[in-house]
Amino acid sequence: MPDEVNPQEIIGFLKPRIGARFRTWLKICSHCGICADTCHYYIANGNDPKMIPSYKVRFLVDLIKKKGKVDKEYLEKVYHTVYHECNMCRRCTLYCPFGIDIALMISLLRSLLFSQGLAPDGLVRAIENYKKFGNQMAVTEEDWVDTIEWCEEEMAEELVGLKIPIDKKGAKIMYTVNAREPMFYPQDIMEVAKIFHVAGEDWTVPRKEGWDDTNLAMFCGDIKTAKYIVQNTFKRAEELQVKQIAITE
Amino acid sequence: MGYTPKQEVIHSVELFHDYIRDGRIRLREKIKEPTTVQDPCNVVRSGGLADKNRRLAEFLSEDFRPMKYQGNYNFCCGGGGGAMPMGGEMRKYRLKCGKIKAEQIRETGAKIVFVPCHNCIDQIRDLSKEYDLGIKAIHFKEAITELMEIPPEMIPEED
Repeated sequence: MPDEVNPQEIIGFLKPRIGARFRTWLKICSHCGICADTCHYYIANGNDPKMIPSYKVRFLVDLIKKKGKVDKEYLEKVYHTVYHECNMCRRCTLYCPFGIDIALMISLLRSLLFSQGLAPDGLVRAIENYKKFGNQMAVTEEDWVDTIEWCEEEMAEELVGLKIPIDKKGAKIMYTVNAREPMFYPQDIMEVAKIFHVAGEDWTVPRKEGWDDTNLAMFCGDIKTAKYIVQNTFKRAEELQVKQIAITE
Repeated sequence: MGYTPKQEVIHSVELFHDYIRDGRIRLREKIKEPTTVQDPCNVVRSGGLADKNRRLAEFLSEDFRPMKYQGNYNFCCGGGGGAMPMGGEMRKYRLKCGKIKAEQIRETGAKIVFVPCHNCIDQIRDLSKEYDLGIKAIHFKEAITELMEIPPEMIPEED
C-alpha cells in the first residue's frame, strides 16, 4: 500500500456504505459490555478490555470523526484488530440486547482496508487463484476432472455401479466442494460419492468453474471477486438445470 | 434488487441428516466411544442448522455429549473468518483464542469430535495437538461411510 493515506478516499469509501443500519448500531450501542464475555478472544486473553467486541469497531466512528485523516500506522492498527482479534463469528450479536452486528462492521472495515491495498497475503493469493482458475487452490479444469474420475474408479471397486456424474443435466443436486478436497482430501469426495450412491441420490458435479464453494474473497472485503465466485456457481446450476446446490461439510 | 437465485442452497449436514431420518441410509451400528459435535458458525449460527447438526451427531453415537454452549450459542473454533487460510501470520492468535474451544471439548470427555467444516476441522486438529486433547476430529462423511449398511446388490463379488 502507498505510504500516504488519502482522506478523501477513506471517506468516499465509507460514506455511501455506512447507511441507516450502521449509524443506528453505532448510536444505540450503550457499551454495556455484555458482548465482552461472549467473545473467545476476550476470554482467552485474560479479559483484555481491548478485545471487547463493541470496542473493536470504534474505528468506524473514529474514522468519520477524523474525516479520514489518518496515517498508514493507524490503518495497520485497524488491520491488527479486524484480522487478528476477530473471526466474525457473530456470537456477540446473539447476546447483544440490540442485536448489533459487530461482524458486519468488522467486515466493512476489512473492505475499507482492501480498498487501500491492505489485506492478508494468504487471502490475496487465494483471490488471484479464484480469478485465474475459479477456485482458491489453483486447480485446473483438467486436474479437477482427473481427480473426480480417479475417485470414481477407486470407489467403483468398493460399490457396484457407483458413478460421479459430471455435468449431468437436470440432476436434482449439484454438489460443490472445498477446493482443498481435490488438492489434499480426495477421500472426502470418495466418501460423499458413496453416501449419495447408497442413498440413491440424483446428483452431479460441474466440470467448469463454480464447483468450489469457498469464498475467501468475502473474508477480506473484496466484494467484486466474492460476487464473481458466487455467480460462477449459480451459472453452472442454471446451465445444468438442477433444483438444489449442495455444499460440502 | 440484484440477482434472485433459482436454486435452493443446502448443506451436507441437512442432506445426511435427512437420509438417515428417512431411512435412505441405514446404520449397521453406532460409534461406541463418547462423541461431541462442533457447531461451525456459518453452518449453525448463520446457516440455521443447529438442530440437524446435533441430531445427526446423535444418530451416529451411542454416547453423545454436547458441549457446554451448544447450537447457536457455541463458540467459534478460532479458525473462522479467513483465519485458517491466512497462514503463518494468524497462527499464534488462533491457537491462543482456540483455548476456549479446546476447553469446551475437553470438558465433554469426548474422544471423537464431529466437525462439519473444513476450516474448523483443521483448527480443531491443531488445537488437539497444542492442548493435548487426545481426540479425533472427523467429518460426518467419514463416520457415515464407516457405519452405513451397504445394500447387498452393491457389494462387489469376490473373485
